[in-house]
Amino acid sequence: MLTVSDLSVTLPMAGVPVPVLSGVSLTLPRGGSVGLVGESGSGKSMTALAVMGLLPPGARTGGQIGFDGHDLLAAPEAALCALRGRRIGMVFQEPMTALDPLMRIGAQVAEPLRRHLGLSRAAAAARAAALLARVGLAPPRVTPDLYPHQLSGGQRQRVVIAAALACGPDLLIADEPTTALDVTVQAQVLDLLAALTAEAGMALLLITHDLAVVSETVEQVLVMYAGRVVESGSTAAVFARMAHPYTRALFAASPHAAVGDPAPIPGVMPDPRARPPGCAFAPRCARAGGECTRTVPPLLGTDAHRVACFHPHAAR
Amino acid sequence: MKGSAWRSPSLLAGAAITAVMVAVALLSLVWTPYRPTAMDFVHRLAPPSAVHPLGTDSFGRDVLSMIMAGAQSSLTVALIAVAVGAGLGIPLGALAAARAGLLDDLVMRGCDLAFAFPALLTAVMITALAGPGAGNAMLAIGIFNIPVFARVTRGAARGVWAREYVLAARAAGRGDAAISVVHVLPNIAAVLMVQATIQFALAIVADAGLSYVGLGVQPPQPSWGRMLNEAQTFIWRAPLLAIFPGLAIMLAVLGLNLLGDGLQDLLDPRLRRAR
Ligand SMILES: Nc1ncnc2c1ncn2[C@@H]1O[C@H](COP(=O)(O)OP(=O)(O)O)[C@@H](O)[C@H]1O
Ligand SMILES: [Mg+2]
Repeated sequence: MLTVSDLSVTLPMAGVPVPVLSGVSLTLPRGGSVGLVGESGSGKSMTALAVMGLLPPGARTGGQIGFDGHDLLAAPEAALCALRGRRIGMVFQEPMTALDPLMRIGAQVAEPLRRHLGLSRAAAAARAAALLARVGLAPPRVTPDLYPHQLSGGQRQRVVIAAALACGPDLLIADEPTTALDVTVQAQVLDLLAALTAEAGMALLLITHDLAVVSETVEQVLVMYAGRVVESGSTAAVFARMAHPYTRALFAASPHAAVGDPAPIPGVMPDPRARPPGCAFAPRCARAGGECTRTVPPLLGTDAHRVACFHPHAAR
Repeated sequence: MKGSAWRSPSLLAGAAITAVMVAVALLSLVWTPYRPTAMDFVHRLAPPSAVHPLGTDSFGRDVLSMIMAGAQSSLTVALIAVAVGAGLGIPLGALAAARAGLLDDLVMRGCDLAFAFPALLTAVMITALAGPGAGNAMLAIGIFNIPVFARVTRGAARGVWAREYVLAARAAGRGDAAISVVHVLPNIAAVLMVQATIQFALAIVADAGLSYVGLGVQPPQPSWGRMLNEAQTFIWRAPLLAIFPGLAIMLAVLGLNLLGDGLQDLLDPRLRRAR
């Protein structure tokens, strides 16, 4: 249903076009689920925003984003407006800032219902109340006439989820939906997302920097680094092998998966303005050899498992 | 909110003074001690007394009645001038903020151009060309409020456009116009309200200036500016004739500025907390 092929995005930084995404491809069948994993700055949000047609002004794109027969990169703004919130819903990272502070939560959930489905004020309000109850925000503790600042972070994220799901979209994009939440709430919100999407047969694109988060939630995983996909495949295959050294480093850095303390990945991701000519991970990689610093390793393998590395790990 | 309002003396004082001004202006529509235009040549230049609390002017008109009627004309001119400025300036600024790029540049350069003219002088020029009178005074003052509101709106709106809930609204399929109305304007309403109060005070001064030079409200309808002008001739014999309208202008401006300051203090921290 969603097919991203060879997506590239350049953004102007101080007037100079800088590539932030290169050759990103992913396929998400109807009702399927894909996890997009990588450190902060690896291009996950840009991928999501490209699908939504909400890239920052001045962005230049290449490749295709097919959604149910439309090419989203070529679609006019009006067509995208009709799709956003109706067929594609999105949940953002910061529940503290993703809600309008001056609007009641019920109204924020009802808004897309009125806009996209043409519901009357009363019908939309009733539906919004039901949606809020479905995400676990029911009276007497939470009523639709509350304002965002009267809710906790986890409750606000539930409001955001209810609003994103209001029109029953075919695809839900969740960009780090639990990153800003307390650890105890994270699992609940993830479970809620998984349950709601499964129940409605909705496809899920789950973005996170925590590799362990996706292991139980999604069917396929894409690991991104510096604007490229470095490893992809079915969740089982990727976790069974973790062929790319970056994938392993990411896993070791996860606060949820590591056996001992999480081990932060040494070094920093190269700035998109000054990426090395070869593999972008080479400067931080213990296995890097000569060719790693000269040529970008191609993403090779089968649909079940691909890796972009000259010195991949064998099975774990 | 009530608690913090009571803790702000400038808000209270400003609201009280402004409320009195508005009440006096409204009252003058139905009642003044004397008809403000009624002349009494026997009692010219009378000092304040029990019959004429603020005395009479050189035509024997009751000064208190004139001040009351002047409040009404002054507040009306200022209100409509600010409404014109806000009514055109806010949409322009909101549009500029929503459509960064050429349109934004156009609107902002237009504002720069408007600011290059000294406002009061140009208002004098406009009313001199278009003819004196309350209507043209409102327009002339209103025109100079347009760029003020456009700029303030654009600046504040750009801040809202950068917030994540606007991105979330766009991701929900809302267009620029709907976002401007549903999310941007309510979130900058406080800033605009404060600005409107300040502009209101400036408009009262501008109106007084225009009617002082004879380009505002026309006789026989009284205005504070013309009262000041007419008092000049008798400034040594009857200085109070200049002092009372001067005080009225000063009080009106003071009240509105205090109100603006108080509103700013009241609304800003509350909004910051709510965000
Ligand atoms: N508005 C922007 N203009 C220019 N560059 C940006 C902008 N937003 C993000 N970037 C850059 O794009 C790259 C990818 O960012 P992003 O997709 O947000 O990463 P992630 O979501 O994986 O943390 C980063 O290098 C970031 O610096
Ligand atoms: Mg991100």
